[in-house]
Amino acid sequence: MLLFLAGCSGIPHPAIQTELEACPQQTAVAIAAEQNQLSFLTASHTLVCAINTLQKSHDLAIQRTALGSRLCLTLAEREPNQDKREKFAAEGVKFAEIALEQGGQGDGAVHYYLAANLGLKVRDHIVLAMGSLDRLENEMKQAVALSPDIDDGGPLRLLGALYLKAPAWPKGIGDLDKALELLKQAVDQYPNHPLNHLFYAQALWEEGDQTSLSQAKAEFVLGEKLLAEGDWGYNKQPWGTEFNEFAQEHAEIASPIK
Amino acid sequence: MRKSYLIMLASLLAPFSVSAAPDAEMIVVCYPGGSVNAKEANGAMSSMLRVVERVGQWQENSFNSVFLTKSDDCKKQIADNNPKFAITSLGLYLELRNQHKLVPIVQPKINGQTSEHYRVMVQKDKFKSLDELKGKTLGGTVLEEPAFVGKIVFAGKYDPASFFDLKPSNQAIRALRSLNKGELDAVILNEQQFGGLGSLQMDTSLEAIFTSEEIPLMGVVANSGSTSVEERARFGKALEAMCTDAEGKKLCELFGVESFNSVDASLFEPMVKLWANGQ
Repeated sequence: MLLFLAGCSGIPHPAIQTELEACPQQTAVAIAAEQNQLSFLTASHTLVCAINTLQKSHDLAIQRTALGSRLCLTLAEREPNQDKREKFAAEGVKFAEIALEQGGQGDGAVHYYLAANLGLKVRDHIVLAMGSLDRLENEMKQAVALSPDIDDGGPLRLLGALYLKAPAWPKGIGDLDKALELLKQAVDQYPNHPLNHLFYAQALWEEGDQTSLSQAKAEFVLGEKLLAEGDWGYNKQPWGTEFNEFAQEHAEIASPIK
Repeated sequence: MRKSYLIMLASLLAPFSVSAAPDAEMIVVCYPGGSVNAKEANGAMSSMLRVVERVGQWQENSFNSVFLTKSDDCKKQIADNNPKFAITSLGLYLELRNQHKLVPIVQPKINGQTSEHYRVMVQKDKFKSLDELKGKTLGGTVLEEPAFVGKIVFAGKYDPASFFDLKPSNQAIRALRSLNKGELDAVILNEQQFGGLGSLQMDTSLEAIFTSEEIPLMGVVANSGSTSVEERARFGKALEAMCTDAEGKKLCELFGVESFNSVDASLFEPMVKLWANGQ
Protein backbone atom coordinates (compact mmCIF):
# COMPACT_ATOMS: atom_id res chain seq x y z
CA MET A 1 0.00 0.00 0.00
CA LEU A 2 1.47 3.30 -1.02
CA LEU A 3 0.95 6.09 1.44
CA PHE A 4 1.41 9.76 0.85
CA LEU A 5 3.41 11.12 3.72
CA ALA A 6 4.08 14.70 4.61
CA GLY A 7 6.58 15.76 7.20
CA CYS A 8 5.37 17.25 10.45
CA SER A 9 8.50 18.91 11.68
CA GLY A 10 6.89 22.33 11.74
CA ILE A 11 8.34 23.25 8.35
CA PRO A 12 6.47 21.25 5.73
CA HIS A 13 8.40 18.75 3.65
CA PRO A 14 7.43 17.64 0.18
CA ALA A 15 5.95 14.17 0.23
CA ILE A 16 7.90 10.96 -0.19
CA GLN A 17 6.03 7.75 -0.83
CA THR A 18 6.79 4.46 0.78
CA GLU A 19 5.26 1.27 1.99
CA LEU A 20 4.80 2.62 5.46
CA GLU A 21 3.49 -0.58 6.96
CA ALA A 22 6.78 -2.28 6.16
CA CYS A 23 8.91 0.31 7.92
CA PRO A 24 10.49 -0.70 11.18
CA GLN A 25 9.74 1.20 14.38
CA GLN A 26 12.66 3.56 14.73
CA THR A 27 13.51 6.96 16.12
CA ALA A 28 15.39 9.81 14.52
CA VAL A 29 17.99 9.60 17.27
CA ALA A 30 18.58 5.93 16.52
CA ILE A 31 18.86 6.62 12.80
CA ALA A 32 21.33 9.42 13.43
CA ALA A 33 23.37 7.19 15.69
CA GLU A 34 23.59 4.53 12.99
CA GLN A 35 23.80 6.90 10.03
CA ASN A 36 27.11 5.54 8.79
CA GLN A 37 25.28 2.35 7.90
CA LEU A 38 22.98 4.21 5.54
CA SER A 39 24.73 4.58 2.23
CA PHE A 40 24.65 3.69 -1.44
CA LEU A 41 24.72 0.07 -0.28
CA THR A 42 21.42 0.44 1.58
CA ALA A 43 18.12 -0.69 0.08
CA SER A 44 15.87 2.13 -1.10
CA HIS A 45 13.03 1.05 1.14
CA THR A 46 15.22 1.35 4.23
CA LEU A 47 16.29 4.83 3.18
CA VAL A 48 12.72 5.96 2.57
CA CYS A 49 11.67 4.71 5.98
CA ALA A 50 14.55 6.59 7.56
CA ILE A 51 13.62 9.75 5.70
CA ASN A 52 10.02 9.50 6.84
CA THR A 53 11.15 9.19 10.43
CA LEU A 54 13.50 12.16 10.07
CA GLN A 55 10.74 14.23 8.50
CA LYS A 56 8.65 13.82 11.62
CA SER A 57 11.43 14.58 14.04
CA HIS A 58 11.48 17.79 16.06
CA ASP A 59 15.00 17.16 17.29
CA LEU A 60 16.89 20.34 16.43
CA ALA A 61 20.25 18.67 16.78
CA ILE A 62 19.26 16.26 14.03
CA GLN A 63 17.47 18.84 11.94
CA ARG A 64 20.59 20.97 11.66
CA THR A 65 22.63 18.11 10.21
CA ALA A 66 22.92 17.00 6.59
CA LEU A 67 21.58 13.53 7.31
CA GLY A 68 18.12 13.84 5.76
CA SER A 69 19.49 15.66 2.75
CA ARG A 70 22.18 13.04 2.26
CA LEU A 71 19.70 10.18 2.34
CA CYS A 72 17.50 11.95 -0.19
CA LEU A 73 20.47 12.43 -2.49
CA THR A 74 21.36 8.76 -2.13
CA LEU A 75 17.86 7.88 -3.32
CA ALA A 76 17.75 10.52 -6.04
CA GLU A 77 21.05 9.40 -7.54
CA ARG A 78 19.82 5.86 -8.10
CA GLU A 79 16.32 6.77 -9.26
CA PRO A 80 15.87 6.42 -13.05
CA ASN A 81 12.41 8.00 -13.15
CA GLN A 82 12.75 11.76 -13.55
CA ASP A 83 9.67 12.73 -11.56
CA LYS A 84 10.58 10.52 -8.65
CA ARG A 85 14.21 11.63 -8.80
CA GLU A 86 13.20 15.27 -8.66
CA LYS A 87 10.88 14.63 -5.70
CA PHE A 88 13.68 12.98 -3.75
CA ALA A 89 16.02 15.80 -4.67
CA ALA A 90 13.44 18.45 -3.74
CA GLU A 91 13.03 16.79 -0.39
CA GLY A 92 16.78 16.81 0.01
CA VAL A 93 16.87 20.53 -0.67
CA LYS A 94 14.16 21.05 1.92
CA PHE A 95 16.05 19.06 4.54
CA ALA A 96 19.16 21.15 3.89
CA GLU A 97 17.26 24.42 4.00
CA ILE A 98 15.82 23.44 7.35
CA ALA A 99 19.30 22.50 8.53
CA LEU A 100 20.55 25.96 7.59
CA GLU A 101 17.61 27.60 9.34
CA GLN A 102 18.38 25.61 12.45
CA GLY A 103 22.02 26.67 12.60
CA GLY A 104 23.79 24.32 10.23
CA GLN A 105 25.57 27.05 8.26
CA GLY A 106 28.98 25.99 9.47
CA ASP A 107 28.54 22.41 8.32
CA GLY A 108 30.00 21.91 4.85
CA ALA A 109 27.96 18.76 4.38
CA VAL A 110 24.72 20.75 4.60
CA HIS A 111 25.90 23.05 1.80
CA TYR A 112 27.18 20.12 -0.24
CA TYR A 113 24.01 18.07 -0.08
CA LEU A 114 21.89 21.16 -0.64
CA ALA A 115 23.79 21.88 -3.84
CA ALA A 116 23.86 18.27 -5.00
CA ASN A 117 20.13 17.86 -4.50
CA LEU A 118 19.35 21.22 -6.04
CA GLY A 119 21.41 20.28 -9.08
CA LEU A 120 19.47 17.06 -9.54
CA LYS A 121 16.17 18.87 -9.00
CA VAL A 122 16.70 21.49 -11.70
CA ARG A 123 19.04 19.90 -14.21
CA ASP A 124 16.31 18.95 -16.69
CA HIS A 125 14.55 22.34 -16.50
CA ILE A 126 16.50 25.00 -18.33
CA VAL A 127 14.87 28.06 -16.80
CA LEU A 128 15.16 26.69 -13.28
CA ALA A 129 18.68 25.46 -13.91
CA MET A 130 19.93 28.77 -15.26
CA GLY A 131 18.23 30.60 -12.43
CA SER A 132 19.92 28.33 -9.89
CA LEU A 133 23.50 28.65 -11.12
CA ASP A 134 24.57 31.33 -8.68
CA ARG A 135 23.04 29.52 -5.73
CA LEU A 136 24.63 26.26 -6.78
CA GLU A 137 28.01 27.91 -7.10
CA ASN A 138 27.69 29.64 -3.75
CA GLU A 139 26.67 26.51 -1.88
CA MET A 140 29.38 24.42 -3.51
CA LYS A 141 32.03 27.01 -2.75
CA GLN A 142 31.03 26.95 0.90
CA ALA A 143 31.19 23.16 0.87
CA VAL A 144 34.67 23.25 -0.68
CA ALA A 145 35.82 25.73 1.94
CA LEU A 146 34.29 23.94 4.92
CA SER A 147 34.45 20.22 4.10
CA PRO A 148 36.25 19.39 0.86
CA ASP A 149 36.65 15.75 1.83
CA ILE A 150 32.99 14.76 2.03
CA ASP A 151 32.01 12.01 -0.36
CA ASP A 152 35.57 11.51 -1.66
CA GLY A 153 36.02 15.10 -2.73
CA GLY A 154 32.37 15.61 -3.60
CA PRO A 155 32.44 19.42 -3.26
CA LEU A 156 35.46 19.68 -5.58
CA ARG A 157 33.88 17.22 -8.00
CA LEU A 158 30.53 18.98 -8.13
CA LEU A 159 31.90 22.50 -8.33
CA GLY A 160 34.27 21.38 -11.06
CA ALA A 161 31.42 19.76 -12.95
CA LEU A 162 29.33 22.90 -12.56
CA TYR A 163 32.07 25.05 -14.13
CA LEU A 164 32.47 22.43 -16.85
CA LYS A 165 28.83 22.18 -17.84
CA ALA A 166 27.35 25.61 -17.13
CA PRO A 167 27.08 28.10 -20.00
CA ALA A 168 30.43 29.82 -20.43
CA TRP A 169 31.33 33.41 -19.65
CA PRO A 170 30.00 36.00 -20.27
CA LYS A 171 26.50 34.55 -20.20
CA GLY A 172 27.09 31.97 -17.50
CA ILE A 173 29.54 30.85 -14.85
CA GLY A 174 31.01 28.08 -17.01
CA ASP A 175 34.80 28.17 -16.90
CA LEU A 176 36.96 25.36 -18.25
CA ASP A 177 40.09 26.60 -16.47
CA LYS A 178 38.38 26.47 -13.09
CA ALA A 179 36.85 23.11 -13.92
CA LEU A 180 40.23 21.62 -14.80
CA GLU A 181 41.83 22.99 -11.65
CA LEU A 182 39.14 21.68 -9.30
CA LEU A 183 38.78 18.29 -10.96
CA LYS A 184 42.56 17.83 -10.99
CA GLN A 185 42.51 18.44 -7.24
CA ALA A 186 39.68 15.95 -6.91
CA VAL A 187 41.54 13.13 -8.68
CA ASP A 188 44.84 13.93 -6.96
CA GLN A 189 43.41 14.13 -3.45
CA TYR A 190 40.57 11.60 -3.77
CA PRO A 191 41.71 9.12 -6.40
CA ASN A 192 39.35 6.31 -5.41
CA HIS A 193 36.09 7.84 -6.61
CA PRO A 194 35.18 6.83 -10.20
CA LEU A 195 33.29 10.05 -10.93
CA ASN A 196 36.29 12.19 -10.03
CA HIS A 197 38.09 10.54 -12.93
CA LEU A 198 35.10 10.65 -15.28
CA PHE A 199 34.50 14.34 -14.74
CA TYR A 200 38.20 15.13 -15.05
CA ALA A 201 38.25 13.11 -18.27
CA GLN A 202 35.30 15.16 -19.56
CA ALA A 203 37.09 18.42 -18.74
CA LEU A 204 40.28 17.24 -20.41
CA TRP A 205 38.25 16.22 -23.42
CA GLU A 206 36.81 19.72 -23.66
CA GLU A 207 40.33 21.10 -23.58
CA GLY A 208 40.82 19.34 -26.87
CA ASP A 209 44.57 19.31 -27.47
CA GLN A 210 46.34 16.03 -28.12
CA THR A 211 48.02 15.80 -24.71
CA SER A 212 44.74 16.43 -22.95
CA LEU A 213 42.93 13.85 -25.05
CA SER A 214 45.46 11.16 -24.14
CA GLN A 215 45.16 12.14 -20.50
CA ALA A 216 41.36 12.10 -20.78
CA LYS A 217 41.45 8.59 -22.08
CA ALA A 218 43.68 7.45 -19.21
CA GLU A 219 41.42 9.09 -16.64
CA PHE A 220 38.34 7.55 -18.23
CA VAL A 221 39.85 4.08 -18.19
CA LEU A 222 40.95 4.46 -14.57
CA GLY A 223 37.51 5.65 -13.51
CA GLU A 224 35.90 2.79 -15.39
CA LYS A 225 38.18 0.31 -13.61
CA LEU A 226 37.42 1.79 -10.20
CA LEU A 227 33.72 1.54 -10.90
CA ALA A 228 33.94 -2.03 -12.13
CA GLU A 229 36.07 -3.26 -9.25
CA GLY A 230 34.59 -1.26 -6.37
CA ASP A 231 31.57 -2.02 -4.23
CA TRP A 232 29.47 0.96 -5.21
CA GLY A 233 26.14 -0.66 -4.50
CA TYR A 234 23.15 1.02 -6.04
CA ASN A 235 25.34 3.76 -7.51
CA LYS A 236 27.10 1.36 -9.80
CA GLN A 237 24.37 1.35 -12.40
CA PRO A 238 23.67 5.09 -12.69
CA TRP A 239 27.37 5.89 -12.65
CA GLY A 240 27.96 3.22 -15.25
CA THR A 241 25.33 4.92 -17.38
CA GLU A 242 27.26 8.19 -17.12
CA PHE A 243 30.44 6.47 -18.23
CA ASN A 244 28.61 4.77 -21.09
CA GLU A 245 26.95 7.96 -22.28
CA PHE A 246 30.27 9.75 -22.41
CA ALA A 247 31.83 6.83 -24.25
CA GLN A 248 28.98 6.77 -26.74
CA GLU A 249 29.35 10.48 -27.43
CA HIS A 250 33.10 10.07 -27.90
CA ALA A 251 33.54 6.59 -29.24
CA GLU A 252 37.31 6.85 -29.36
CA ILE A 253 37.76 7.33 -25.62
CA ALA A 254 36.95 3.80 -24.52
CA SER A 255 34.67 0.87 -24.94
CA PRO A 256 31.48 1.19 -22.88
CA ILE A 257 31.16 -0.56 -19.56
CA LYS A 258 29.20 -3.76 -19.94
CA MET B 1 27.82 37.82 -33.50
CA ARG B 2 26.55 37.78 -29.96
CA LYS B 3 27.01 34.24 -28.96
CA SER B 4 24.39 33.81 -26.27
CA TYR B 5 21.53 34.72 -28.55
CA LEU B 6 22.99 32.39 -31.12
CA ILE B 7 22.67 29.65 -28.52
CA MET B 8 19.16 30.88 -28.00
CA LEU B 9 18.44 30.59 -31.69
CA ALA B 10 20.16 27.27 -31.76
CA SER B 11 18.05 26.18 -28.88
CA LEU B 12 14.94 27.15 -30.72
CA LEU B 13 15.67 24.71 -33.40
CA ALA B 14 17.72 21.93 -31.97
CA PRO B 15 15.66 19.27 -30.23
CA PHE B 16 16.91 15.93 -29.00
CA SER B 17 17.50 14.01 -32.16
CA VAL B 18 16.08 10.91 -30.53
CA SER B 19 12.72 12.59 -29.99
CA ALA B 20 12.39 14.06 -33.44
CA ALA B 21 9.89 12.56 -35.84
CA PRO B 22 11.47 10.34 -38.49
CA ASP B 23 10.64 12.87 -41.21
CA ALA B 24 11.63 15.86 -39.09
CA GLU B 25 13.07 18.81 -40.96
CA MET B 26 16.80 19.08 -40.40
CA ILE B 27 17.97 22.47 -39.20
CA VAL B 28 21.69 23.19 -39.29
CA VAL B 29 22.83 25.25 -36.34
CA CYS B 30 26.21 26.90 -36.78
CA TYR B 31 27.96 28.38 -33.77
CA PRO B 32 31.52 29.09 -34.96
CA GLY B 33 34.05 29.49 -32.18
CA GLY B 34 31.50 28.60 -29.57
CA SER B 35 32.23 26.76 -26.40
CA VAL B 36 29.03 24.84 -26.14
CA ASN B 37 28.42 21.36 -24.90
CA ALA B 38 25.63 20.30 -27.24
CA LYS B 39 24.44 17.69 -24.80
CA GLU B 40 24.15 20.17 -21.98
CA ALA B 41 22.37 22.61 -24.27
CA ASN B 42 19.81 20.03 -25.27
CA GLY B 43 17.49 20.84 -22.42
CA ALA B 44 17.24 24.42 -23.55
CA MET B 45 17.01 23.44 -27.16
CA SER B 46 14.19 21.04 -26.60
CA SER B 47 12.24 23.48 -24.44
CA MET B 48 12.55 26.26 -26.96
CA LEU B 49 11.74 24.18 -29.94
CA ARG B 50 8.56 22.92 -28.34
CA VAL B 51 7.47 26.52 -27.86
CA VAL B 52 8.18 27.42 -31.46
CA GLU B 53 6.33 24.37 -32.73
CA ARG B 54 3.33 25.21 -30.57
CA VAL B 55 3.35 28.88 -31.49
CA GLY B 56 3.78 28.06 -35.16
CA GLN B 57 1.21 25.27 -34.98
CA TRP B 58 3.56 22.57 -36.17
CA GLN B 59 3.25 19.04 -34.94
CA GLU B 60 5.52 18.39 -31.97
CA ASN B 61 8.99 17.21 -32.97
CA SER B 62 8.57 18.51 -36.50
CA PHE B 63 12.18 19.71 -36.51
CA ASN B 64 15.46 18.06 -35.97
CA SER B 65 18.85 19.68 -35.93
CA VAL B 66 22.57 19.34 -35.91
CA PHE B 67 24.69 21.66 -33.81
CA LEU B 68 28.19 22.60 -34.97
CA THR B 69 30.92 24.88 -33.68
CA LYS B 70 33.43 24.59 -36.52
CA SER B 71 32.90 26.62 -39.68
CA ASP B 72 34.15 23.85 -41.92
CA ASP B 73 31.84 21.30 -40.33
CA CYS B 74 28.98 23.69 -40.80
CA LYS B 75 29.70 24.28 -44.47
CA LYS B 76 29.91 20.55 -45.07
CA GLN B 77 26.66 19.92 -43.27
CA ILE B 78 24.85 22.56 -45.26
CA ALA B 79 26.34 21.26 -48.50
CA ASP B 80 25.42 17.67 -47.70
CA ASN B 81 21.91 18.24 -46.38
CA ASN B 82 20.81 21.43 -48.09
CA PRO B 83 18.57 22.37 -45.14
CA LYS B 84 15.53 24.58 -45.55
CA PHE B 85 16.44 26.63 -42.48
CA ALA B 86 19.68 27.32 -40.70
CA ILE B 87 21.06 29.40 -37.90
CA THR B 88 24.32 30.90 -38.96
CA SER B 89 26.84 33.49 -38.06
CA LEU B 90 26.96 36.55 -40.29
CA GLY B 91 30.23 35.30 -41.74
CA LEU B 92 28.76 31.99 -42.81
CA TYR B 93 25.70 33.68 -44.23
CA LEU B 94 27.87 35.96 -46.34
CA GLU B 95 30.03 33.09 -47.52
CA LEU B 96 27.20 30.69 -48.33
CA ARG B 97 24.35 32.98 -49.36
CA ASN B 98 24.80 32.67 -53.11
CA GLN B 99 25.64 29.00 -53.18
CA HIS B 100 22.65 28.02 -51.07
CA LYS B 101 20.27 30.87 -51.91
CA LEU B 102 20.15 31.95 -48.27
CA VAL B 103 17.82 34.72 -47.19
CA PRO B 104 17.59 36.11 -43.66
CA ILE B 105 14.24 35.64 -41.91
CA VAL B 106 14.61 37.09 -38.41
CA GLN B 107 17.24 38.80 -36.35
CA PRO B 108 17.30 39.21 -32.55
CA LYS B 109 17.00 42.42 -30.60
CA ILE B 110 19.25 42.61 -27.55
CA ASN B 111 19.44 45.58 -25.19
CA GLY B 112 17.42 47.53 -27.72
CA GLN B 113 19.95 46.85 -30.45
CA THR B 114 19.88 44.74 -33.59
CA SER B 115 23.53 45.40 -34.34
CA GLU B 116 26.83 45.17 -32.51
CA HIS B 117 30.44 46.30 -32.53
CA TYR B 118 33.58 44.24 -32.31
CA ARG B 119 36.57 45.49 -30.38
CA VAL B 120 40.27 44.70 -30.20
CA MET B 121 41.35 44.91 -26.57
CA VAL B 122 44.89 45.48 -25.32
CA GLN B 123 46.52 46.25 -21.99
CA LYS B 124 46.04 49.93 -21.30
CA ASP B 125 48.75 52.19 -22.72
CA LYS B 126 50.71 49.26 -24.16
CA PHE B 127 49.87 50.03 -27.79
CA LYS B 128 48.77 53.24 -29.40
CA SER B 129 47.13 51.96 -32.57
CA LEU B 130 46.10 48.82 -34.34
CA ASP B 131 49.07 49.23 -36.69
CA GLU B 132 51.40 48.70 -33.74
CA LEU B 133 49.93 45.21 -33.37
CA LYS B 134 51.46 44.06 -36.65
CA GLY B 135 53.04 40.65 -36.06
CA LYS B 136 51.68 40.54 -32.51
CA THR B 137 49.49 37.84 -31.04
CA LEU B 138 45.72 38.23 -31.30
CA GLY B 139 43.36 35.84 -29.53
CA GLY B 140 39.62 35.39 -29.26
CA THR B 141 36.72 33.17 -30.17
CA VAL B 142 35.80 35.35 -33.13
CA LEU B 143 38.94 34.14 -34.91
CA GLU B 144 37.19 30.90 -35.83
CA GLU B 145 36.05 33.01 -38.80
CA PRO B 146 39.14 34.94 -39.91
CA ALA B 147 37.61 35.94 -43.25
CA PHE B 148 34.70 37.56 -41.45
CA VAL B 149 37.08 39.40 -39.15
CA GLY B 150 39.14 40.66 -42.08
CA LYS B 151 36.38 41.60 -44.50
CA ILE B 152 33.66 42.77 -42.11
CA VAL B 153 35.11 43.64 -38.72
CA PHE B 154 38.21 45.32 -40.20
CA ALA B 155 36.28 46.31 -43.33
CA GLY B 156 39.02 44.88 -45.55
CA LYS B 157 41.74 47.09 -44.08
CA TYR B 158 43.63 44.29 -42.36
CA ASP B 159 44.03 40.65 -43.27
CA PRO B 160 44.13 38.97 -39.85
CA ALA B 161 46.07 35.93 -41.00
CA SER B 162 48.98 37.94 -42.39
CA PHE B 163 48.83 40.97 -40.10
CA PHE B 164 48.59 39.23 -36.72
CA ASP B 165 49.93 36.08 -35.16
CA LEU B 166 46.50 34.52 -34.65
CA LYS B 167 45.73 32.50 -31.53
CA PRO B 168 42.12 31.33 -31.89
CA SER B 169 40.37 29.98 -28.83
CA ASN B 170 36.94 28.66 -27.97
CA GLN B 171 37.27 30.14 -24.48
CA ALA B 172 36.90 33.91 -24.43
CA ILE B 173 37.70 34.08 -20.75
CA ARG B 174 40.93 32.14 -21.26
CA ALA B 175 42.02 34.52 -24.00
CA LEU B 176 41.35 37.46 -21.70
CA ARG B 177 43.31 35.86 -18.86
CA SER B 178 46.20 35.41 -21.27
CA LEU B 179 45.92 39.06 -22.23
CA ASN B 180 45.89 40.01 -18.57
CA LYS B 181 49.10 38.03 -17.98
CA GLY B 182 50.76 39.43 -21.08
CA GLU B 183 50.79 36.07 -22.85
CA LEU B 184 48.68 37.59 -25.62
CA ASP B 185 49.10 41.09 -27.01
CA ALA B 186 45.46 41.58 -27.96
CA VAL B 187 42.07 39.90 -27.88
CA ILE B 188 39.15 40.53 -30.19
CA LEU B 189 35.72 40.56 -28.54
CA ASN B 190 32.15 40.67 -29.70
CA GLU B 191 29.64 42.99 -28.05
CA GLN B 192 28.47 40.56 -25.43
CA GLN B 193 31.99 39.62 -24.42
CA PHE B 194 32.93 43.29 -24.21
CA GLY B 195 29.88 43.92 -22.06
CA GLY B 196 30.92 41.13 -19.70
CA LEU B 197 34.39 42.51 -18.97
CA GLY B 198 33.18 44.22 -15.82
CA SER B 199 32.46 40.84 -14.24
CA LEU B 200 36.07 39.72 -14.56
CA GLN B 201 38.80 40.35 -12.04
CA MET B 202 41.85 41.51 -13.96
CA ASP B 203 45.17 42.76 -12.64
CA THR B 204 45.68 45.11 -15.54
CA SER B 205 43.32 47.62 -17.12
CA LEU B 206 42.28 46.97 -20.67
CA GLU B 207 41.29 49.34 -23.40
CA ALA B 208 39.81 49.04 -26.87
CA ILE B 209 42.37 49.94 -29.48
CA PHE B 210 39.94 49.30 -32.28
CA THR B 211 36.14 49.41 -32.50
CA SER B 212 34.35 48.22 -35.60
CA GLU B 213 31.51 49.93 -37.36
CA GLU B 214 28.00 48.73 -36.54
CA ILE B 215 27.48 45.19 -37.74
CA PRO B 216 23.95 43.75 -37.91
CA LEU B 217 23.11 40.75 -35.78
CA MET B 218 22.51 37.62 -37.79
CA GLY B 219 19.74 35.18 -37.02
CA VAL B 220 17.79 32.53 -38.88
CA VAL B 221 18.17 32.10 -42.62
CA ALA B 222 16.21 30.06 -45.14
CA ASN B 223 17.11 28.47 -48.43
CA SER B 224 14.91 30.43 -50.83
CA GLY B 225 15.27 27.69 -53.41
CA SER B 226 13.76 24.97 -51.26
CA THR B 227 11.28 26.99 -49.18
CA SER B 228 8.19 28.84 -50.31
CA VAL B 229 7.38 32.42 -49.33
CA GLU B 230 4.62 31.01 -47.12
CA GLU B 231 6.95 28.62 -45.34
CA ARG B 232 9.42 31.36 -44.62
CA ALA B 233 6.68 33.68 -43.41
CA ARG B 234 5.26 31.01 -41.11
CA PHE B 235 8.65 30.27 -39.66
CA GLY B 236 9.38 33.94 -39.17
CA LYS B 237 6.02 34.59 -37.50
CA ALA B 238 6.56 31.74 -35.07
CA LEU B 239 9.92 33.15 -34.08
CA GLU B 240 8.51 36.66 -33.77
CA ALA B 241 5.82 35.36 -31.42
CA MET B 242 8.33 33.41 -29.35
CA CYS B 243 9.18 36.15 -26.87
CA THR B 244 5.56 37.15 -26.24
CA ASP B 245 4.44 33.61 -25.50
CA ALA B 246 4.15 33.01 -21.75
CA GLU B 247 6.63 30.16 -21.73
CA GLY B 248 8.76 31.48 -24.54
CA LYS B 249 9.15 34.81 -22.77
CA LYS B 250 10.98 33.15 -19.89
CA LEU B 251 13.37 31.54 -22.31
CA CYS B 252 13.92 34.80 -24.19
CA GLU B 253 14.64 36.59 -20.92
CA LEU B 254 17.01 33.86 -19.92
CA PHE B 255 19.14 34.55 -22.97
CA GLY B 256 18.73 38.31 -22.90
CA VAL B 257 16.76 38.47 -26.14
CA GLU B 258 14.01 41.07 -26.17
CA SER B 259 12.44 39.92 -29.39
CA PHE B 260 12.99 38.38 -32.78
CA ASN B 261 12.15 40.71 -35.61
CA SER B 262 11.52 39.94 -39.23
CA VAL B 263 14.31 41.26 -41.36
CA ASP B 264 14.82 42.15 -44.99
CA ALA B 265 17.89 40.98 -46.86
CA SER B 266 18.59 44.58 -47.86
CA LEU B 267 19.69 45.29 -44.29
CA PHE B 268 22.72 43.11 -44.93
CA GLU B 269 23.60 44.67 -48.30
CA PRO B 270 26.41 46.82 -46.88
CA MET B 271 27.91 43.67 -45.39
CA VAL B 272 27.52 41.85 -48.71
CA LYS B 273 29.43 44.65 -50.43
CA LEU B 274 32.18 44.59 -47.81
CA TRP B 275 32.42 40.84 -48.19
CA ALA B 276 32.72 41.12 -51.96
CA ASN B 277 35.31 43.89 -51.77
CA GLY B 278 37.27 42.58 -48.83
CA GLN B 279 40.71 41.09 -48.87
